[in-house]
Amino acid sequence: MNRSLPFEIFRYAAILSLVALSLVPTLWMASMAFKPIAEWSATGADLTWWPKSPTLDNFRFLFGESSSELIVALDRTAGQPILSSLLSAVFGTLIAMISGTSAAYGLSRFGSGGNLPLALIQLRIFPPMAVMIPVMIMWAFLGLIDTWYGLALVYGIVTMPFAFWLMKTFFDDMPREIEDAALVEGCSRLRVFWKITLPMMRPALASSALFVFILNWSDYLIALLLTTRDWVTIPVYMASLSSSMTGQLYGAKAALGLIAAIPPVILGIAIQKHLVRGLTFGALKQ
Amino acid sequence: MASIAFNNVTKRFGDTIAVNNLSFEIADSEFFCLFGPPLSGKTTILKLILGLEKPDDGEILIDGRPVNHVSPARRNVAMVFQNLALFPHMSAEQNVRFPLAERRMDESHIASRVADVAAKLHIGHILHKSPAQLSGGERQRVAIARALVRDPVAYLMDDPISALDARLREETRVELKRIQNELGRTMVYVTHDQEEAMSVADRIAVLEAGSIRQIGAPSEIYDNPHSSYVARMLGAPAMNLLELDKGRASALEGALPLSGLAVPDGAAQIGIRPEDLLVGPALAAGQGLVRVYEVEPLGGVTVVTLQAGETSLRAMVRGQPKIDPDSQVSLSVAAGQACFFAGDGQAVRI
Repeated sequence: MNRSLPFEIFRYAAILSLVALSLVPTLWMASMAFKPIAEWSATGADLTWWPKSPTLDNFRFLFGESSSELIVALDRTAGQPILSSLLSAVFGTLIAMISGTSAAYGLSRFGSGGNLPLALIQLRIFPPMAVMIPVMIMWAFLGLIDTWYGLALVYGIVTMPFAFWLMKTFFDDMPREIEDAALVEGCSRLRVFWKITLPMMRPALASSALFVFILNWSDYLIALLLTTRDWVTIPVYMASLSSSMTGQLYGAKAALGLIAAIPPVILGIAIQKHLVRGLTFGALKQ
Repeated sequence: MASIAFNNVTKRFGDTIAVNNLSFEIADSEFFCLFGPPLSGKTTILKLILGLEKPDDGEILIDGRPVNHVSPARRNVAMVFQNLALFPHMSAEQNVRFPLAERRMDESHIASRVADVAAKLHIGHILHKSPAQLSGGERQRVAIARALVRDPVAYLMDDPISALDARLREETRVELKRIQNELGRTMVYVTHDQEEAMSVADRIAVLEAGSIRQIGAPSEIYDNPHSSYVARMLGAPAMNLLELDKGRASALEGALPLSGLAVPDGAAQIGIRPEDLLVGPALAAGQGLVRVYEVEPLGGVTVVTLQAGETSLRAMVRGQPKIDPDSQVSLSVAAGQACFFAGDGQAVRI
């Protein structure tokens, strides 16, 4: 590949500017999380990239220990919303992955539940609002409003189609002969699934679970409708971070945003090593 | 240890009939070859024996017992899959010991069996590696080892050595034949390579579209094909099939006299193996219709491709005779060495 120098310069300039463009808001958030109120409030005519007097006050404020002049006393700290987000997203992801994977396996291997793929897509055809209002009524009837498990259940149902479709393509791509071989060598169907299929599917499971988790973790609308007070999630809680005197509490929001970014990043790093290798690398002859 | 029998077995996939009302029997300790073009039902027959597919009709017997409702795990048949189907998340050793571990054998027995098989297939030094780290030939041997490690009633092999290069293929072929002899087990071997079928099999079944066209010892099928289809399947280069002229005294519009041969009644085609087609110098007028198209010296033999009008045919000549491309030659047939077929392709004899 022998490209001209001007072209290369242009190429890198374009790439760098796009990367910068997409990173600026994130970096600005990170910087703002460590600024005292004077530096992020609207009065600050001299906004700087680097905090002039860095402080952890925004974080302390979120957890109810602020000593600064942040005007409002919060009626609740960030601890409960973080717990709520974690519980509902994790269990929602578990529900979606377990049911989606089983359904995908059944359909891919045995053709069971013939119209299931289309039926599952229906859940996604309507705008979420149209689906969620009836769900809200049902959940109220069942007493599941404002509980983490009620939210987890909805998350599981709503993201299950993604888990199902992703896993189905992975199962479809897995050569049947590998399972056949295990059957011939003395395994029962169930044992084949445990000993052969699931271990082989680890990369697929990891990437699907990450995708589903991020969907659940970043939901705002469903949580807004189905939680009221005790179990609001991080996004809903974040929206409430304002006061009549100072308006939006940007510093606290930035701090919370930074906290909210941690779980997906950790998960992403944790599964990265599973993603580099192909699914059936070495199983078949080339 | 076991014979395998099919009684009127039919298997359909949707509208396609993969195996069509098949009946045959594989004898105990026999090296049985299923030979046919792609999609002729070879692999389906193996899957039926294994129990991975259920027949729609008919009965399959192993050792005289019907096994239609016996699960694959309990049939005690071992298989080497066409694409090997090693377990990619296990090491070579775990792959080989898998069949024994699944049957809960005790550890010392497993270890000694694995060591035995590893020695036999020369894979002791690669057992710790994962399939991804092995070469194609090594994977092949690991897959074969996984089948050989236990003590099944029969081994099934689905074109197991097609991915190897020519030399390694010949070696492995000999090795497989030797191992089969040594173990004295029934072997069902699928191949689309006629040379492989001829060289290893005790008996060959020639398949076409889910039906067996002929079963027999390799030499029997080669010398005495029941139809022009079977005749063309075995032998390389393939048998020359020519329409007989009116009067049945010649073929190729007189260019190939059949004077020394007894042509049976009802014959429409003559089949001549390339080694039985004799090439001579061009004779006088009327005999110069055959032109040499290409000459391929292969060392011990030379393959001559000939053109007679629209028909192309091949002759195999011993040694490396001097034949020029584009020259004119005459043809004749070695005495008594021809097959005759009726218009529908069935063999006709006198």
